[in-house]
Amino acid sequence: MFLIFALITILGALAMFQQKNVIVAGLCLVLTFFGVAGLFLVLANPVAAALQIIVYSGAIMVLVLFTIMLLNSHEEEPAIKARPIQRWVGALLIAIFGAFAFRIVAGSKALAAVNDKALPVEGMNLNRVGEELFANHLLGFEIIGLLLLAAMVGAVALTKKEL
Amino acid sequence: MALNGSLQGYILVALLLFVIGLATVLLRRTLLMQFMGVELMLNAANVALLAFSRFRGGDATGTVFYLFILGVAACEAAIGLALVIALFRHRQTTDADRADSLKQ
Repeated sequence: MFLIFALITILGALAMFQQKNVIVAGLCLVLTFFGVAGLFLVLANPVAAALQIIVYSGAIMVLVLFTIMLLNSHEEEPAIKARPIQRWVGALLIAIFGAFAFRIVAGSKALAAVNDKALPVEGMNLNRVGEELFANHLLGFEIIGLLLLAAMVGAVALTKKEL
Repeated sequence: MALNGSLQGYILVALLLFVIGLATVLLRRTLLMQFMGVELMLNAANVALLAFSRFRGGDATGTVFYLFILGVAACEAAIGLALVIALFRHRQTTDADRADSLKQ
């Protein structure tokens, strides 16, 4: 199961990266989010999987697709001038970063040691998340609420023609 | 190295997602595509976080922090898309290279 969902996730992300049409790219990203939700299910975390589908695929991506259709900019615009050096240096830096991080993760003895322990796993449920959230992270919860309010007011202020 | 369902496998998936998101932000010019790349990188962080939480025996703190990241991602989506719309209203473009009046 892990391999299937990992493949869906990675292939969706790659398809999004090389897609010329922005709408199709957004749909590929929705596929990626479904793959990530599947990974969360395999991780014995149905709460996070449900939130992933509801919030990411259901709310955020719908907002993005609405914006694409509102602006009617389906295709990437032609470049004003080609910047080959910047693009190649960027690709090279990404490749170097990816290769080094891959070597660190794949060669880590500490990460490999965690697998062997095979801890007994308690599946996640909303009761445990709620207890943890309201017992130990109440301040963060309140701050997130304030942040959402500020973002809502900010979004209205940015898009309104005259206030 | 058995990747199937091990912590290393999940971290490698998260790493690949992050690298693809970074490539999208750096190599694509459309602001909306760059925005999707940022979302992809946030998701990579989520995968790593919940994988670590699972291999600590199903710790609920990981899911709580996942909730916080979700809230920040929602705020980022609202503000980012509002900025793209505001730019489009002034310049009739969603291309990052065409929004360069500070350089002139």
